[in-house]
Order: sequence, then structure tokens, then C-alpha cells
Amino acid sequence: MDHWLEALAATPLAEWMRYSRWGYAAINTLHVFSVALLVGAIVPLDLKLMGFWRRLNTELIAQVLVPVAITGLLGAIASGVLLFLAGPADYAGLKIFLIKMLLIVLATLNALNLHWRIGYAGRQGALRVAGALSLLLWLGVLVAGRMIAYV
Amino acid sequence: MLFSLASAHHGWRWTTGDNIELTGIITDVKLGNPHGVLKVRAEQEVWTVEVGQPYRNARAGLEEGDLAVDVEVKIEGEPSADITEKLMKAERIWIDGQLYELYPERD
Repeated sequence: MDHWLEALAATPLAEWMRYSRWGYAAINTLHVFSVALLVGAIVPLDLKLMGFWRRLNTELIAQVLVPVAITGLLGAIASGVLLFLAGPADYAGLKIFLIKMLLIVLATLNALNLHWRIGYAGRQGALRVAGALSLLLWLGVLVAGRMIAYV
Repeated sequence: MLFSLASAHHGWRWTTGDNIELTGIITDVKLGNPHGVLKVRAEQEVWTVEVGQPYRNARAGLEEGDLAVDVEVKIEGEPSADITEKLMKAERIWIDGQLYELYPERD
């Protein structure tokens, strides 16, 4: 495990992330922007699933918010991988970072289950649970992510 | 792994707000984003000293090789509020009497 992390840290891309003046700051900004897109889309979607805005059509709302959330997630993953490269062993050794990764996996599985199995026209009970779980997990990701800078 | 905790400190909220001065020999250097970390042996203690990211260090006039193992440094900055951590964040560094200001706006 450790030598994998060291090999990662020795790649040209990792070196660039570690020593670039503005590259790191730009990727950091992209990460914040992506998280803003993801959370900004997922919170209203989850609230809708939980029973807010009853008169509005869930499937139509999902047509707007799901692609935005997916774009945010993909951007956050891409920029997140680059940020990780700046210090692979440092991050891999941080408990809060591992908790964040676990929460991302759980939140993504919950989203896939909602999208592919329950469906946005699914049973109200199932939608409520999926929405509440999504809200809890993604906000957990947000908090854990921010905590990385302060533990 | 050595720096896993120290490398994660941002801002100044975790420090005491008062400066200390540390003089010692650098025993380990790890520079880069999000910020660099030195190990400095002062008498019998080894302190972990956070320095700037590449931009800040370069702006202060530090060049490659200035912060290196076996170099004697005097460092002024704020220690962690938990003094047992032996951890500080540098505001300015002297090498051979030459001053490098990482945070010119801080006193």
C-alpha cells in the first residue's frame, strides 16, 4: 500500500500538483465549484423527494437537477483525484479522509439505487427514505471534506 | 505518513495568537502544496514547523535549496494552542541572518 502511494506521489502529475504556483489553486477552485454544483442540485432534489413542493412534478425536477448533480460529482472526482496526488500518503493516512471516501461510496450507491431501481415516479415511502439518506450522506461528505483542512 | 496530521492545518485558529521564536537545525524538509513542513531540532526537542506553499515561500525570497536538511534557521511564528504537539506555523524565517517574510502583514 505504502509503495503504491509513493509511486503515485512520484508521477509527473503529482509533482505538478505539489509544486505548481497556481495549478493547485485552480484545481482547488474547480473542486469547490464542482461541490457547489453537486450539493446545490442534490439538496433541492432530496427535499422534493422528502415531500417539499408537492404540486411540482418530481420527474421534471429530476430532469434538471440530476444532470447538474452528476456533472458536479464527476468534476469533484476529477479535481479531487488531482488534489489527492499532491500528498497521497498524507491523505490516505487521515481517518477523516477515509470516512469521506466511504460516505461518497454510500451516497453514490444510494443515488444509483434511486435512479435505476426506485425511479423518480416510485413509491412515496421509498422516495422519502432515499431523499433523506441522500441529504444526510452528501452533507456528511461536505463536512468531512472541509474537516480535512482542520484536523 | 510522518506529516499526516501537521500537513492538514489551515488558517490561524489553531494557534495561540502569540509568537514564539525557535532556533535549530532542519532535520527534514517537505515542501509543496498545500504547504511545506519542516522538522527542526532545537536543543533536545524536535519541532514541526509549517511554512508556506510554493507561492508564499517564493514571494518571501526563498529559493530552492534554502530550506534544506542541516541548515540552521531562526523561526518566528505561532505555536499550536496544544503546546505538547511541538508544532508551529512560521511567519518569518532567518537563514544566515537573512530575513524571509512569509507573512509580512502579521506581527
